[in-house]
Amino acid sequence: MDNATLIGLYRDMWLIRAFEQGLEREFEKGNVPGMLHTGLGQEAVQAALAWHLKATDAFFPDHRCHGINALAQHRHRGDGERVMAELFGRSTGVCSGKGGSLHSADPRVGNFGDNAVEGSYMATVLGVALAAKLRSQPNVACAIIGDGTVGRGEFHESLNMAAIWDLPVLYACVNNGYAISMPVGDGHASADIVDMVQGYGFESRQLDGNDIIEAWTGVKEAVEHIRSGAGPYFLEFKTWRWQGIFAGEFRPEAEVKYWKEERDPIMLAGEALAGRGMDQAKLDAIEQETTDLIEEWIAFAKDSPEPDPAKATANVYVGWEVASR
Amino acid sequence: MTAADTAAPKREARTPRKARDRVRKVAFTRALNDALNLAMAKHDEMFVIGEDIAEMGGDFGVTKGLLAKYGPERVRDTPLSEAAIIGTCAGAAMVGMRPVAEIMFADFIAECYDQVVNNVAKMHYMFDGQFKAPLVIRTACGGGFGGGPHHSQSVEGWFLNVPGIVIVAPSNPVDAKGLLLASIDSDDPVLFLEHKALYRSRAEVPPEYYTTPLGQAAIAREGSDVTVVAAMRMVPMALEAAEEAADAGVSVEVVDLRTIRPYDAETVLASAAKTGRVVVANEAPKIGGLGAELSARISEECFSDLKGPVVRVDGLDTPIPFSVPLEDVVLPDAQDIGAAVSTAAQY
Repeated sequence: MDNATLIGLYRDMWLIRAFEQGLEREFEKGNVPGMLHTGLGQEAVQAALAWHLKATDAFFPDHRCHGINALAQHRHRGDGERVMAELFGRSTGVCSGKGGSLHSADPRVGNFGDNAVEGSYMATVLGVALAAKLRSQPNVACAIIGDGTVGRGEFHESLNMAAIWDLPVLYACVNNGYAISMPVGDGHASADIVDMVQGYGFESRQLDGNDIIEAWTGVKEAVEHIRSGAGPYFLEFKTWRWQGIFAGEFRPEAEVKYWKEERDPIMLAGEALAGRGMDQAKLDAIEQETTDLIEEWIAFAKDSPEPDPAKATANVYVGWEVASR
Repeated sequence: MTAADTAAPKREARTPRKARDRVRKVAFTRALNDALNLAMAKHDEMFVIGEDIAEMGGDFGVTKGLLAKYGPERVRDTPLSEAAIIGTCAGAAMVGMRPVAEIMFADFIAECYDQVVNNVAKMHYMFDGQFKAPLVIRTACGGGFGGGPHHSQSVEGWFLNVPGIVIVAPSNPVDAKGLLLASIDSDDPVLFLEHKALYRSRAEVPPEYYTTPLGQAAIAREGSDVTVVAAMRMVPMALEAAEEAADAGVSVEVVDLRTIRPYDAETVLASAAKTGRVVVANEAPKIGGLGAELSARISEECFSDLKGPVVRVDGLDTPIPFSVPLEDVVLPDAQDIGAAVSTAAQY
């Protein structure tokens, strides 16, 4: 990986971190409605995926997806602040406030929307991939899932159909160790998801999800494989999420300390850049610039109007109006 | 289509014709097959997908011949994976294709309920119009043939409370073809219910392309004393009951809903207001079903026109038993509708 790419990814990861930390702060102040699932600690996976997926590809983001949503929006449309506004439920959001954190989409940047029922879009991704195949388009359809999704029936239905039809699907499994509170090894036949996938007979690889160079290289190879028409590819990223559960932190102190202090993907990328002779002042400037940008996005979201109440009944059907109260 | 065209074929008065004018009567299944054929020719981006639908032509033969004509890319057999079938349709529809899925028996929709309810039906709304889901889910529903608890259910009630889905429910071959073609044209997701007991019913079906509008009920028989509101198999049963009531001097109007959601309230309420006596006939269990909705709506909006309470004819509050004598007890029939008409006529 050349220096420019590594610096670019470092910037992308900082954008995600600043986004999530700013959002967390606003959530605690009561400015963000609903629930909040952040992708803190998982920035490398999201940055690697966002780098290689084009606006003409399709990705179905996972439960901790603000980062990739914001990066795609920022990169392809230059209006990442609309992802922030969606989380604030504002009219300027990408779904005009109807979707929120778990249903944020914009097909113009390849974001096909999360589905808050884990596993559901494992089935949906098949159709996007099939359409690309029938139309002979070199597009990738990517389902970003957590390890918890492996428990769903759709997970297995999807892998089976992608295999028999040779579909251009990239499965990106973010194995952060826990499905809500259940450790991955307790909930699944194997704590290594790739072991379970091998029987489906297509390419699969396990990657260090906190090593941006390994993650970026792995995604690059998988995407090239799929675009060449060689069929589906399954990537498992071993990582760890910083956020506990709603009740708070439930994991052993030593584990928390290890992942936050020794395996922080941004810190590791910063060390790699320093090893290549990058100035600490330049790294600090990247952190400052991205944080400033996110504060602008938050201000945009807070200043945006709430949705017009008349819109509550809009877009239920294409062909029918729904009566208001 | 006129009201007369939508009447139950067996009860239609037949005009003797010369041999050269005779139009062949076509079965319900064949009318659907016709529609799929015509739609695939019209829409390049349509494909059909389901279990055993390609080589085998589907459990009831509705997709017969499509594979030979349109090839395996557009006529796709799948493993027993209902969620993946509907997910595939949803994803393809998101990028502008027009998939038609066959779920072999409506009972199996439970396997893909999440896809339909949380994904397909909500997609247009939750992403605020950025995606459409122009897909059709065809499925064989209803009882009356000894199919037992998992091959006989009427599932419309499972979806009545789901905004975003369109539920289409033809009662005769002419409507079946026109409604299926309209469903495939529609940009909204359609659950297309095919009552198995109607599959062999026959009618003179125009061979050309035509559509029957969604969301519009038909007056299957005009009358002035009692209104019966029905859909699917309940329509021919209501017409049979109406014929018998006529012999007893009671004039029955039969409203065939054709689309169950969003249903044609205007036609239903106008007929209810006209006759002032209403029977709603519904094969599914009584509680929380189509009959409950219609009865409530009619009572709410036509109260001053009604001469008595709406009379409901429904399935019993049980699963569908296998044994035919037991099934006969559970499912409503023409006699039950006739009895309800007599009750209403007393008001």
